[in-house]
Amino acid sequence: MEELSLHILDIALNSLDAGATRLEIAILEDIPANVLEFKVRDNGHGIAGDLVEQLMDPFYTTKKKKRVGLGIPLLKEAVDRCGGVFRIRASLTVGTTVTARFPWDHLDRAPLGDIAGTLIVLIAGGRSIRLIYRHQYNSETFFFDTRELHSMLGDIPLHTPEVLIWLEDYLKRNIADLKEAGKFEEFGRTG
Amino acid sequence: MKNLEELDRLRENLRQAMKIREQAPEVSVRVSMGTCGIAAGAREIVMSLLEELKEQGLDGVALTQTSCAGLCHYEPLLEVIKGSEKTTYVNIDRDKAREIVRRHLIKGEIVKEWVTPDR
Repeated sequence: MEELSLHILDIALNSLDAGATRLEIAILEDIPANVLEFKVRDNGHGIAGDLVEQLMDPFYTTKKKKRVGLGIPLLKEAVDRCGGVFRIRASLTVGTTVTARFPWDHLDRAPLGDIAGTLIVLIAGGRSIRLIYRHQYNSETFFFDTRELHSMLGDIPLHTPEVLIWLEDYLKRNIADLKEAGKFEEFGRTG
Repeated sequence: MKNLEELDRLRENLRQAMKIREQAPEVSVRVSMGTCGIAAGAREIVMSLLEELKEQGLDGVALTQTSCAGLCHYEPLLEVIKGSEKTTYVNIDRDKAREIVRRHLIKGEIVKEWVTPDR
């Protein structure tokens, strides 16, 4: 995958398949500490403990129609290539959390890419899901929760194309502002 | 949340517009979004569909995703479902996605050149 946000989309769609009603995506970019970490946490039906290891195997899949499952192995490969840390915590009662941690400055680390597009696709496709997004860039944080939007929109559905296109722009602007605001710190530390 | 007062304005505009628009028939568009579909550009297809649906004022179309259908070489792939009729479009790009909205969803004509050969 060319962007980390595409891996996030792939992993988060597994959460929708797992019947999650709550999906949390958290991104941490701590440049002075040289960390980029993302976490996808759901309250879906989880994974039995002994299956977590098998998920790393490209030839393991739960789907009947196909013989390979590449989502998790591809992400793990992307993490390993940079010497990062990859972790799946799953429980049949609480749900699943996938964490991928990269050295921020590693040359082989894919860019985060269009995370706003990823969120919009998840909101469009997961109509009844509550999506929570938290993006920390150095000490600045952007937070977004579809539940707040639902209450603001009233009787207008969140998946109305016009609302989603507005939301994409809203997310893009806020994430760009976040990075702008967080940048001062980098100058402070290096200067 | 910043800039959310814009959302209030948008909501009011939509409320006005939705009263005018006719109730569209039950149509859904499903974009294939297994790992293969995502790697082939499915996310950009969804964004393109959303933009065209917005421009055409189509609110009643259900836009969802399916997982890998084993046709990975045909990705990006999407299905249009109108009642009991299902059409599968293969090797879609952003422009084709927009044209499918205009021709299939609005005019009701299947774009034969882009459907699966065995359809």
